[in-house]
Amino acid sequence: MKSTLQWLARQTWFQVLFWTLVLIGAWEAGATLVEMTKRMPANIMPHLYQILQAAFSGQEVSGGMTATQVVLKASAATLGRAFLGFLLGALAGYMLAFLMKLSGVIEKMIFPYLMLIQLIPVLGLAPIILAITGNINSSRLVIAAILSFYPVATNTLAGFKSVEKDKYDLMATYAAKKRNMFLKVLIPQSIPYFFTGLKVAAPMAVTASILVDTLQGDGGLGCILSQALKHAMSIYVFWLIVFFSAFVGIFSSILIHWVELLVTPGVVVNLLRKLSIGKEAGAYGRKNEKVQKKKKYPSSVV
Amino acid sequence: MEGLTSTSGEIVAREIGVTFQDNAGRDVQAITNINMAIKKGEFISLLGPSGCGKTTLLRCVADLQEPTEGELWVEGMTPKEARLQHKFGFVFQQPVLFDWRTVKKNVELPLEMMYQTKKQRGDRAEKMLELVGLSAFKDHYPRQLSGGMQQRVNIARAFGIKPDILLMDEPFSALDEFTKEKLHEDLLRIWRKTNKTVLFVTHNIQEAVFLSDRICVLSPHPGRLSAIVDVDLPRPRTLEMKESEHFNELVKIVKNSFEGGSFS
Repeated sequence: MKSTLQWLARQTWFQVLFWTLVLIGAWEAGATLVEMTKRMPANIMPHLYQILQAAFSGQEVSGGMTATQVVLKASAATLGRAFLGFLLGALAGYMLAFLMKLSGVIEKMIFPYLMLIQLIPVLGLAPIILAITGNINSSRLVIAAILSFYPVATNTLAGFKSVEKDKYDLMATYAAKKRNMFLKVLIPQSIPYFFTGLKVAAPMAVTASILVDTLQGDGGLGCILSQALKHAMSIYVFWLIVFFSAFVGIFSSILIHWVELLVTPGVVVNLLRKLSIGKEAGAYGRKNEKVQKKKKYPSSVV
Repeated sequence: MEGLTSTSGEIVAREIGVTFQDNAGRDVQAITNINMAIKKGEFISLLGPSGCGKTTLLRCVADLQEPTEGELWVEGMTPKEARLQHKFGFVFQQPVLFDWRTVKKNVELPLEMMYQTKKQRGDRAEKMLELVGLSAFKDHYPRQLSGGMQQRVNIARAFGIKPDILLMDEPFSALDEFTKEKLHEDLLRIWRKTNKTVLFVTHNIQEAVFLSDRICVLSPHPGRLSAIVDVDLPRPRTLEMKESEHFNELVKIVKNSFEGGSFS
């Protein structure tokens, strides 16, 4: 009995299931408590089934669309721009990190001020950007880019700086040119750091775009969200957006993690090897490999 | 000291000194007045306690830093010219492998910068890996290898560029005794086969005696050459020689040649 529990606790699927159930339980307990106070429970913490009901009911909430349709249509505008802005910001961030690595002068000039951008609250920055671009779509894009830019730039720069002195020395003994130092050492070593930056940046880009939406009534997620809060449409639309954007934020990070695995050397190969265990070719190949090692290299393998 | 002050040889140092400034701005002499001449095909150890400047001297030969005094010649060239012409391979204490490259691709790295074709690079890398007994692991990644195997890859990579000279900076000091002994034998085997000049930095007296033709003993504060000990053990060396009386005698001679206290 005890060992079965221990085995379960080590399984990833069980951990996920366990915490999902705990979260649902906590939420429902909270919702029940809130319901008992009778103070607009739907605003504070509705039951999960109510939210699900709103998501799947065919009832029209606005302009002949159901709640889910409203959310999806709004998210197309918001998330589309957020994604573009994220890509632009990531690209700019990587390039700036590259420039800062290339030149110490540029780093000293720019790096301290980079942080300033990060320190200005989006709420303060957004109206200014909106005023400059004059267009909510461009604003979403620019804000998402600005917010993505910083974590990507700093993490990538940290990646460049993580290259050890030994590696510089080694490349020097090969008489390596600066170009090769970047191509063969600095850039490959910075990639995992770059992805860390992306993982931080992606949910931020989503959040920022939604926030920018609230400034102008042009049908983005944030716009619908504030309308729902003001009871211009069903409050469950608000909850749908909350959950939906949370999932998008989490999923964006997971998606980046997958892309990272794809580009990490060796990972895909190992995965394929694992998948082919049990299949004839795979099992045969592995067994044979081991025997071969033992036979051919008896003493030299330390 | 005779023979080491001569001017001909593969590596020649004349009155080499390195002075650097510490954090307080004071001049500190790392090494001073080093004279040596290393013949082609010789296996020379630079032996001394930490702080004696042996690594500094090696780095000067490799042009990774410049001596503040004296002259250095590598194959009749300045260290910089020798470096640009890939005259030497350098083996660091750490394996310095690239995580994102397979073992084979790690060995190929320096060859990529020497404009060899893909086929040439691949053949050369495989040959080198065979020499260090790692052919079966060519498609593995460094993280999948033990410390001893990683150091083998490092050595294969250094030999891969066909250098005339091999500069080794305490390459085995992070390894356990068993692995170290195995690698000693392998290194000597490859050395005999390829006929390189080796300059080997170590703080391990037994290691220096077992491997070398001659040992340059360095004493610290400031780092200086205090003795040169000829090791007349026959080649090829075998592990049994370490038990012999003559071996222990040589170890004793080396120990006693340190200036300013014994070496412990």
